[in-house]
Amino acid sequence: MTSTAQELHPAPTLEPGRTILELKGLEKRYPGTHALKPVDLAFKASEIHAIVGENGAGKSTLIKLLTGVMPRTSGDVIWEGKPAALATPHEAMALGINAVHQEVVLCRHLTVAANMFLGEEDSRFGILQQRAMVREAQKIIDDLGFDLPAHVVLGDLTIGQQQLIAAARATVRGTKFLIFDEPTAYLTRKEADQLFTLIRRLKGEGVTIIYISHRMEEVFELADRVSVLRDGTLVGTRNIAETNDAELVKMMINRSIEQVYHKEHFTPGATLLEARNLSGKGFENVSMTVRAGEIVGLYGLIGAGRSEFVTTLYGRHRKSAGQILWEGKQVQVNSEHDAIRLGMALAPESRRDQGLCLNLPVGLNLNLPIYKRISSNLLISSAQEKAEADRQIANLRIKTPTRNALASSLSGGNQQKIVIGKWLAHGAKLFIFDEPTVGVDVGTKAEIYRLFSELLSKGAGIILISSYLPEVYELADTLHVFRRGKLVATHGFHTADHEEILTQALAEKQEKPGGQI
Amino acid sequence: MSTEAIAAERPKRNYNALFGLTLLALLVLLWVILSVATPSFASANNISNLLRQGSMIAILAVGQTFVIITGGIDLSVGAVVGFATVIVAMLINAGVPIFLAILITLLVGVAIGLFHGFGIVKMGLPPFIITLATLTSLRGIGLLMTNGNSISINNDAFQLFSRSSFLGVPNLFWMVILVGIPAYIFLHHSRWGRYLFSVGSNAEASRLSGVNVQRTIYMAYTLSGLCAAFVGVLLASRIGIGNPTQAEGWELQAIASSVIGGTSLFGAVGSVHGPLLGAFILATINNGANLLNVNAFWQRIITGVLIIVIVYFDGLRRRGK
Repeated sequence: MTSTAQELHPAPTLEPGRTILELKGLEKRYPGTHALKPVDLAFKASEIHAIVGENGAGKSTLIKLLTGVMPRTSGDVIWEGKPAALATPHEAMALGINAVHQEVVLCRHLTVAANMFLGEEDSRFGILQQRAMVREAQKIIDDLGFDLPAHVVLGDLTIGQQQLIAAARATVRGTKFLIFDEPTAYLTRKEADQLFTLIRRLKGEGVTIIYISHRMEEVFELADRVSVLRDGTLVGTRNIAETNDAELVKMMINRSIEQVYHKEHFTPGATLLEARNLSGKGFENVSMTVRAGEIVGLYGLIGAGRSEFVTTLYGRHRKSAGQILWEGKQVQVNSEHDAIRLGMALAPESRRDQGLCLNLPVGLNLNLPIYKRISSNLLISSAQEKAEADRQIANLRIKTPTRNALASSLSGGNQQKIVIGKWLAHGAKLFIFDEPTVGVDVGTKAEIYRLFSELLSKGAGIILISSYLPEVYELADTLHVFRRGKLVATHGFHTADHEEILTQALAEKQEKPGGQI
Repeated sequence: MSTEAIAAERPKRNYNALFGLTLLALLVLLWVILSVATPSFASANNISNLLRQGSMIAILAVGQTFVIITGGIDLSVGAVVGFATVIVAMLINAGVPIFLAILITLLVGVAIGLFHGFGIVKMGLPPFIITLATLTSLRGIGLLMTNGNSISINNDAFQLFSRSSFLGVPNLFWMVILVGIPAYIFLHHSRWGRYLFSVGSNAEASRLSGVNVQRTIYMAYTLSGLCAAFVGVLLASRIGIGNPTQAEGWELQAIASSVIGGTSLFGAVGSVHGPLLGAFILATINNGANLLNVNAFWQRIITGVLIIVIVYFDGLRRRGK
């Protein structure tokens, strides 16, 4: 990990290092909880200030207070020397405070240009100047170095590209203070690089950046300073040059980094699943086996065909060629139902879209795959339903007041535990985890990895998909690299280094992997 | 800390029960006020009448609720009621035994529901569209079959049913109980009920969890069609004719009852007791307005205002917690 943080370049009008925003005893209480304990923190003009912490540490609360989405309970916010109420999002924006969120909050059905100028449309006599806006938007996008068209409908772009547009949009509104909330969660490496270029450039123009991320290497790549939150308390602020990730992780979770990647090796047992020359939409000619007791890692960029491959194994999509063998016998998997009956379980990529019924109780979500088992004929045994839900909640230490709380009320990490937990009671043999730790804090990550070992020890096999190389690298017994729908390389545990794997995933030599992943 | 954060949230069950009690209180309040305001309201005759009026919409609302919980809508139920009166009237007049005539009519309702499921699942049509199409076509088919005339049912036993009472309670109201109890058990104590909620909340997550989403959708619309056909039989018995233009606008009353009863049009929120109470609240308002000689046009306005007020307060409380 190297710090590529640049020296501060004096911007023409703003004096870098001057305090632009100061928090004095900023505090937020909800009924029954103390989400943010009094925080004193000063942000300097044109610095990149990273904020790290586990889910529920108070990062989201802090953002909501700064962007005027929620009122604070007490404390003062001093903006450029003057107290600011920050009572409404409008006020925050008028001051020049903007945020780019992890999930793109733009209109998917409008064009890129229309989104860029949403709310500030250029019109003459009430008629929209559409061509002028497209031209102007294209100029901004080109200027930022993004290779994207301004006239297309936003929804036609990938999530990563949409994220870049969201960032570009935030830059055109007289922004002085820009908050990025985990912007790279869904970006490819190339897109992330473009975003970083944009962020550094904004900094050069005197904009203060708050950068929130779970990915330590990004923090070290970008930030000048980093603040750590834990349980609503500001644990400390460090200059990036004077700290390291071991220290930060320790500050965040009170636990050392070696304890996070928990890897036990088991002797692989019988082959559970074999794919022979399997092809489908988004991937072709992929062969691999998964044995009991091993983790098979699938690494590659988003869109490389990994998710498509596993969803086809799982019967969500039809294969176009090849064979699937389950415990040595050729099988037809025509639906999710078939896959589940064989003994597969899928924890899908997107918790919100594919994993959870958010406005339903935690208990119902956990029991969804097993209602058949806990029903006698038509009726559900409510005693069993309660017992199963409570067992998983206790087993996985899901933080929820009761099984009747809605899934949406839980933090991201606890939601992920539900997505995984619903398969534990069901008792599958092959677990497919697609990006299980996106947006999940370090503590929960460690718990999830521990759970992997537990599953392996009981004779299960695991397919682990991740865009985060350290994760698959440290955990997978066999690591397959995907690129553009093809399986391009296979490695054993630690038989290749990061650089080699990354090069295989990217292939094009002009892509500079650099020291960071 | 995060444990406390969510502890502040009220568990869903309690909330549902509370809302049900509020509706019940509203209904009782209406009855008390009307009993004081007009002496004829509390008469045995009027109460029986009120129960009869509310019963049919109540049954429709239960079927409708199943559909709305999956995130859909069934606009066809009024037309199915009218169509079913024609079918049952024709069968009875053709000499088919009553029991068989009713069974066939119910099967027609099932078939219409299956068709809705087919349109949504296999043809990918939005529920609003496919059921709107059925609404208008069923009225047309019924008019073709009857040449636009009403069919008088010449069977006194069939008509006697809806006019009789059992233990002093009108038979029609017993039918609400007959539908309501199995519906309650189905929705809240069977896995199929859970699947209705899960599909309405997130169809993709349900599918990946092994829920047969297509079958669940077929089931919801089939049950709605079945309830509507059943109401058609009851209506034919009550008015003694088969007429395809009967029950005009009942789909909207059923939806209104369901929504007043706490069902969310976004899906995944609803109950059986809510729509039943909603239907009787609407029936009480209409009945009371009649007795108080309020202009019938005003009744429609009052109903509209009531929908807004109840759903608004329900939304406030959901958000406010």
